[in-house]
Amino acid sequence: MKILNMLVPMTIEGLKVTLGVFLVTLVFAIPLAVVVALLRRSNNRAISGVTATYIYIMRGTPLLLQLMFIFFGFHFVPVIGYAFSRFQAIYIAFILNYTAYFAEIFRGGINSIDLGQYEAAKVLGMSKPFTFIKVILPQVIKNVLPAIGNEVITLVKDTSLVYILGASDILKAAKSVSNVYSAFSPYVMIALVYLAIVAVLTKLLSNIERRYNYYR
Amino acid sequence: MSLIVDKISKAFGDVKVFEQISFTVEPSEIVCIKGKSGEGKTTLLRCMNNLETVDSGSILINGLDISKEKDNSRVGQEIGLVFQGYNLFPHLSVMENLRIAPVFLKKMTNEEIDERARELIDTLEINGKEDMYPYQLSGGQKQRVAIARACMLDPSVLCFDEPTSALDYETTKQISIIIRRLAATGMSIVIVTHDEQFVKEIAERVIVLKDQGIIEIDRVEL
Repeated sequence: MKILNMLVPMTIEGLKVTLGVFLVTLVFAIPLAVVVALLRRSNNRAISGVTATYIYIMRGTPLLLQLMFIFFGFHFVPVIGYAFSRFQAIYIAFILNYTAYFAEIFRGGINSIDLGQYEAAKVLGMSKPFTFIKVILPQVIKNVLPAIGNEVITLVKDTSLVYILGASDILKAAKSVSNVYSAFSPYVMIALVYLAIVAVLTKLLSNIERRYNYYR
Repeated sequence: MSLIVDKISKAFGDVKVFEQISFTVEPSEIVCIKGKSGEGKTTLLRCMNNLETVDSGSILINGLDISKEKDNSRVGQEIGLVFQGYNLFPHLSVMENLRIAPVFLKKMTNEEIDERARELIDTLEINGKEDMYPYQLSGGQKQRVAIARACMLDPSVLCFDEPTSALDYETTKQISIIIRRLAATGMSIVIVTHDEQFVKEIAERVIVLKDQGIIEIDRVEL
């Protein structure tokens, strides 16, 4: 009971961080990823090259390292020399990292659309931006939903990495309570919280997928 | 004269597809383009619809040179294409497939768009399918929707790429009737096909592509 009395309020506070990082990352990373995917497909070699390098760095280094680099290392960078606050660094690292992963998923989704769809839109006199928004993107979203869902669930668990910058998420709450009472049970309870969040998301994602099943 | 193709040439790298070919199509005329596989029938149709650029020559429709026009919307209003695979938008219903281009072009009010769509749905006998999605339609129905979609902008010239390749005899006959009905409204029809029976049934004139040029232009005795 003592454990619960300490764990519940700390978990509620921790949830604000966990869900905050999760939501901010999704809201910014998904639209940005569509833009990055388009830039990656650009015929301009400089643009596609810079985008490919960004994706390579983000996917090629651990998110933990990126968090540390942006928080601790950024003010050592010449010219920029700016120190981000703890949460600025967390949001920037998560958004940059997840944008790269989502962008590759969107790029695969865009590549999977039949060329005939673009040609049909062209002969009907539609512009490229209109074609992308009204014809291509809705089909891409349907195709990438399962892969995006996977990443969304990974993101929930990745939020636990914020401990490295001293932010108090739900895992940190479990660790603190566990240290005070020398008990393992807080970890079990927090595992159940993660499972509950993932259960809600799984249901939500399957509902979205079902909504897109109106056509084949 | 609705369509004037004047001395156009096209090559992919060193491979010449056709060279200096010219022909015209009158309003209400139905012209079939025949030729063996690889003679450039589909490439010609694609050039006429600005999906490929020509290396030289011009393609004029009502004074607009399609081969030099950069604005898709202007080309789309002069010439339409019914693709071999139809290329309907799978996420849009039949009605939405019909509405999407005129909604973008903003040349008609919503009421006019709906009225035009209803008119074409009647002409093409696809009543009752308005809310269906392409996957719910048969091959013949998909083709009618593709024709209706291409006609929404009321182009002067309508092209068909192998319209009978996936259709049975009965459906082919129905498509012939529909094509004649469209031609009767003043539309010029250009059909690429290697279906001899269909050519005999529908063509008023036949153009044969061979050895990078046109070797025959026969007026068909009806």
